[in-house]
Amino acid sequence: MSPTKTEPASTGPSLETRSQLQNDPDLERRFRELVVEWQAEVAPLSSTTARVQHPSYREIITLGPAVVPLLLRELEQRPNHWFAALKSLTGADPVAPSDRGKIGPMTEAWIKWGKEHGYL
Amino acid sequence: MDYLESLFPGLRGSGYAVTSPEDIRYNCLAWAAEDTERWWWSDEDSHWPEGAAREETIAAFVAAYGELGFVSCDGPLIEEGYEKIVIYASPDGTPTHVARQLQSGLWSSKLGQLQDVEHRLEDLVGSLYGHCSHFLKRERVFPPPIRP
Repeated sequence: MSPTKTEPASTGPSLETRSQLQNDPDLERRFRELVVEWQAEVAPLSSTTARVQHPSYREIITLGPAVVPLLLRELEQRPNHWFAALKSLTGADPVAPSDRGKIGPMTEAWIKWGKEHGYL
Repeated sequence: MDYLESLFPGLRGSGYAVTSPEDIRYNCLAWAAEDTERWWWSDEDSHWPEGAAREETIAAFVAAYGELGFVSCDGPLIEEGYEKIVIYASPDGTPTHVARQLQSGLWSSKLGQLQDVEHRLEDLVGSLYGHCSHFLKRERVFPPPIRP
């Protein structure tokens, strides 16, 4: 099995990131709006490419690293294709290559990573 | 209006049937391959058969199902001893969806993360999935006879 790419265990959200999330309720509200829009519009699509290129998904990524905890909680509660966004925002990829396409194990890998890195 | 019918107007009055609950674990490509545990697509976060290029093209999709024994065929007519699948594509030729033929002649589709449905081939043609672009077939495998 090929090794998976992970950040050092000591790496976690910066104080700036934590502060931005705690002090910016507008950020979470906008995140929730985009999630609802995205889920409604991509539900019938099988193309992962189309799902992650949807404008709402791209806008979530532009919100920056402050949404990583929100993404991880969303993933934990309603597993879906948040993996590309998480990879883009964190530079990590904790999913084993053999688990590609398995939503459950992919979700578990990211939740474990989030806990290890202080996001959850 | 029914949600699925609002997405796929061709389903209205067609007699289609919903045959499963919603499920994020698998999609239409997986369903066509009778896999209900993985999401198939050509991107790096999805399952994709080894030996097929990770490209969002009809050729790559044909190669992916070729790994499962499917070969190109002329069209949707039932052929005794064969199972068929169809690749739908957008007007620019990008694959969008795959359905598999049932022995009744109807087709079975997983609609993204939504339900499985049994439908007529043309019912899903439209703005979301485009048109029926390419047909594939393979010999139908029956369970081996039980030995005495």
